[in-house]
Amino acid sequence: MNQQAAMDLRQARRSLWRERLAEDWRVFRRNPLGRIGLTLLIMFGLMAVCSYIPPMINPMYNPMTGVDPHIMASTGPSARHWLGTDFMGRDIFAQLLAGARVAFMVGVSAAFMAVVLGTALGMTAGYMGGLTDTLLMRAADMIMVMPTLLVVLMLAALFGQLNIWTIVLMIALFRWPGVSRVVRAQTLSLKQRPFIDAARVAGASHPRIIFRHIMPNVLPLAFLYMTFRVTSAIVIEAALAFLGFGDPGTVSWGMMLQWVWKTGHMFQAMYWLLPPGLCISLITLSFYMLGRAMDEVLDPRLRDETSAG
Amino acid sequence: MVTIKKFRRLLLNLPAAALLAAIAVLAVWAAPAQSAGNGILKIGVLEEPKSLNLWLASDAWSNRILSLMYQPLYLREPNSMELVPWLAAEQPDFDHKTLTCTVKLRPAKWSDGSDFTAEDVVFTGHMIYLYQMPRHYSKWKFIEKVEAVDKHTVRFVLNKPMAIFLSRTLTTPIVQKKQWASLVKQLEGSERALQEILQHDFEEPSVTGPFVVDKWKKGVFVYMKKNPHFFGQGQTIGGHKLGPHIKGIIFKIYGTADAAILALRKGDIDFYWNDIQAGYLKSIENDPDIKLFTNTKSGVYYLGFNLRRAPMDDVAFRRAVATLIAKEFIIKRILQGYGEVLHSMIPPGNEVFYNPNVPKHGAGLDRAQRVKAAYEILSRAGYTWETPPVDAQGKVQKARGIKTPDGKPLREVVILTPPADYDPHRAMSGQMIQEWLREVGIPVVSRPMAFGALIQTVKTQHDFDCFVLGYGKLALDPGYLRAFFHSSQDKPKGWNMSGYNNPEFDQLATESDETMDTAKRRDLIFKMQEILMSEVPYIPLYNPVLVEGVRADRFTGWVPALGGIGNIWSLCEIQAK
Amino acid sequence: MKRFIIKRMAQVVVVLFLILTVLFVLFRLAPGDPVERMVDPNLTLEEAEHLVEQLGLKEPILTQYGIYLKNFAMGHFGHSFHYGQPVAEVIWEKLPNTILLFTTAVILAALVGVSWGKIAAWSKGKWKDLAFTVAALVTHTLFLPWLALLLVWFFGYRLEWFPITGMMSEEVWLDPDTAWWQKAWDVGYHMMLPLLTLFLIHFGSYLLVMRSSMLDTLKEDYIVTARAKGLSEKAIRNRHAAPNAMLPVVTSVGLSLAFSINGGALTETVFSWPGIGRELVFAVSHNDYPLAQACFLLIATVVLFSNVVVDVLYAYLDPRIRY
Repeated sequence: MNQQAAMDLRQARRSLWRERLAEDWRVFRRNPLGRIGLTLLIMFGLMAVCSYIPPMINPMYNPMTGVDPHIMASTGPSARHWLGTDFMGRDIFAQLLAGARVAFMVGVSAAFMAVVLGTALGMTAGYMGGLTDTLLMRAADMIMVMPTLLVVLMLAALFGQLNIWTIVLMIALFRWPGVSRVVRAQTLSLKQRPFIDAARVAGASHPRIIFRHIMPNVLPLAFLYMTFRVTSAIVIEAALAFLGFGDPGTVSWGMMLQWVWKTGHMFQAMYWLLPPGLCISLITLSFYMLGRAMDEVLDPRLRDETSAG
Repeated sequence: MVTIKKFRRLLLNLPAAALLAAIAVLAVWAAPAQSAGNGILKIGVLEEPKSLNLWLASDAWSNRILSLMYQPLYLREPNSMELVPWLAAEQPDFDHKTLTCTVKLRPAKWSDGSDFTAEDVVFTGHMIYLYQMPRHYSKWKFIEKVEAVDKHTVRFVLNKPMAIFLSRTLTTPIVQKKQWASLVKQLEGSERALQEILQHDFEEPSVTGPFVVDKWKKGVFVYMKKNPHFFGQGQTIGGHKLGPHIKGIIFKIYGTADAAILALRKGDIDFYWNDIQAGYLKSIENDPDIKLFTNTKSGVYYLGFNLRRAPMDDVAFRRAVATLIAKEFIIKRILQGYGEVLHSMIPPGNEVFYNPNVPKHGAGLDRAQRVKAAYEILSRAGYTWETPPVDAQGKVQKARGIKTPDGKPLREVVILTPPADYDPHRAMSGQMIQEWLREVGIPVVSRPMAFGALIQTVKTQHDFDCFVLGYGKLALDPGYLRAFFHSSQDKPKGWNMSGYNNPEFDQLATESDETMDTAKRRDLIFKMQEILMSEVPYIPLYNPVLVEGVRADRFTGWVPALGGIGNIWSLCEIQAK
Repeated sequence: MKRFIIKRMAQVVVVLFLILTVLFVLFRLAPGDPVERMVDPNLTLEEAEHLVEQLGLKEPILTQYGIYLKNFAMGHFGHSFHYGQPVAEVIWEKLPNTILLFTTAVILAALVGVSWGKIAAWSKGKWKDLAFTVAALVTHTLFLPWLALLLVWFFGYRLEWFPITGMMSEEVWLDPDTAWWQKAWDVGYHMMLPLLTLFLIHFGSYLLVMRSSMLDTLKEDYIVTARAKGLSEKAIRNRHAAPNAMLPVVTSVGLSLAFSINGGALTETVFSWPGIGRELVFAVSHNDYPLAQACFLLIATVVLFSNVVVDVLYAYLDPRIRY
């Protein structure tokens, strides 16, 4: 293959991608579920971005360390604190914004890692076949049915304290099998296609075939799965924090709920109990709706996987 | 379809929604009847006891129940905090020359009806010695010999004078020989004897206390009934006329303080046996049905330094930090007034051993004065600034670029605290201290850390700068000063977490341990406090006040004491209204 | 079929062995020992060292591993550090409570979810479908602990209809005159809120799966044939479509079991329901390794075997699959 031809091919591929994206977007926009989900997500995204503002206005709005010098107990909403303050006089609204940032961070990075891992392992299993395939898929089967929250809980206990990135990594390590199963199935069907054979005959190496020819075709599928993984990662982190095993240096929504619960304010401070739970639930819902919508866009025949465990 | 028939068998097509609704309606209808005042006291707790085995169950929650069962020879009287004879009949007769102590026992019975004798005391001592019983061994290992002179007289022979003999050894709870002897015999020569002892579980432990466990529904409640053989029944001990006047006690186990306090407000329990956090007080202070008791604790909450590292190894640095901390402010703002300022590692409530004349760094100064004082201490020690915290006119300003005496920039110091949900007070104190130290330009961050990890980092790995921890229930005997600061305790897992090493202190500590004369010991302990507060390896911060709540309409006669109304005296004396 | 079951069982055993090994390695890798975290100034260094030795934490690692495997094989799960009791006993006390709450909730949720899913699919596009689907979506995505706290707040605190924690009233259980049905009633009464929580979280997923699978089934030829034969709509729905649409529901039960178990642990913790999930959380926060280990192993075993059961059931139900 000469240089020019390769360039052309790359360009053609790029424009094909662009067309496909535009088409997908059109389909997506027609889907009410997707529109609601996306709107909600954009809202949460804005919250995450805005989370940097309050601490800049006044250090007392720092979600973790800032305490209002005049308030030492939980107080209701006021002009100074839109959603009130927590038990030590920290601003709940600032915490809520910071929580959105943490949720995105945890959700997206855990999901991304899970998808990368799942895609890599799924493609390997599908492409290599044989013993590798059997071993990987049996492992996937077993990991898939394990209650991730309890597994991470055990690890948290063992190591005393997990920082937020360890938690993210743990979640990713236990959430890849779903992705890899689907990717493997797709890889198996791709393997039979003539263009893979052609590449092999042309002398392409295994990694080249996997990354150049198979990966572009399984990626959309993998990304669809990512939206589901995002939800489960957020929920697991929140649940872990709620049980008191989160990273004590991070303000997440689960952590906020734990503070309400553990400091005994759930009967007295609705303004504190409602927002974090509502946010976790809504962000879960929005990713879920987005996933469903994308599901319809990418492959109408695809079955969704609702399990968040 | 072939599957249909199989399915008809599997698929229960019940009108499930209707069922659910029915259950809901019925359940509401069947609200349980409130029990009438039947002389049973209901106490809310957050955790059930570990077990009824005295040797295993040593934590605070187990203690609430076990302290009503297993009894010591001497017990502290709540008003004077003096030891009064409990299972013993009179004060111990100690012969200083021969180091021999003779104790006469009260005629008492075990809950199974058999007699309590000197043999039981001897046996308990042997058990502790033989198995190096955790938490007790150190109080018994200096006992050369313990023997029964007659059925009701025990004689102890010590191999050296030990101050804790009276206050700690003789307050060890006694177990029944009859119950344990066979197991001990069986374990002869066993390598894991202690493990077997700790894991042993009796259906009905024999005890001498006022109550015995009658029914225990795991995870839900423990019912204790009156022990008919209790030796104190109707007696007057230490000026207290003892009952118990109640039929029994139900310990209800609530998972969270929320649920327990709500139960107290609704009248489901008569007493919540735990500290009520400041956050709840607002809602129950004005409740006419609830009576609150405030008592001091024997607690010390403090900031500790790691003396193995710079800059904490510099006494000037530590004194400057101590000067910058406004303890009154911590009490007022963080504890909302429920606490007392500490200036020594022994709380003022310990009237015998508390030394009121220790160096009090920065006491009574205002913010600006503190900054100036700390600035003076540091600059005299050779610290320099790019912008000092006090300008040429003597005005406080924002400090920048602090450098150590050798000219290097001061590195960041980390204060570790437990997480806010574990103890908001300590977490917030860490925050506060962080802000204060920054006023003179010391770069500090306060970092919450899960409790287990914190203990490990501080106590085992010694990998820290500063930490905020505390003890809520220190013994009245000041022997812990030695454990916390003696150089021999400075090793992984040892109690000297600071790495404090002072030969003079070591010597005083050892001497005080072996001084049995209270007045002499007091002088030594006073000196130790002075040394500690001058060198400040720990900065004592506060001692919280304990707030407990009872139903005002149910029982009277609660006995307030150091450590709260939840004590054996209260439960022996309260009467139904 | 028999061979299939045997093969799957063998797999489960291998996996359990692997889990055991991983647990063992993890527990030894963990920094520190449980004694170290006992913060009690009364416990001197010397005593602590002796205690660690006595608990068998100082043996050579392979010896420990051997003892550990042997004990597990023989059903000795060791003694709980916290309770000092054999772990099996602790679990045995709590297991019935979990089974009671969990199975009741899952069965109720499945029944309601499946029957409403059926209705929703049948009236696709109408308000009924929309209402059911939205309800399912919302309850399914609610954050469980939060839902539990809200229910406690509303039904327990505001309306005072139900007790907010625990599983029995001591008056009822201490009174010797109480009949068994009164005790059962008392437990049921305490169970309402946790049951409601678990039910709300779960029925949505059954509903959604049933609905979409039903919609797929309706496109199948045999439904068209049934219609052509002139069978009533109800008969087609209940006798022809529903049974076949159940297959994906059966699989989803297996797959979502992990999710349910997480939820169960959270629910038990919030409501102080003395079950296995709460015990695991408790053991974990009190560094009671043997207990945590055994609770986890029990849960893993249940999960793995239920998946075998689901597979077998699936094979049994679907005439197209033959092993």
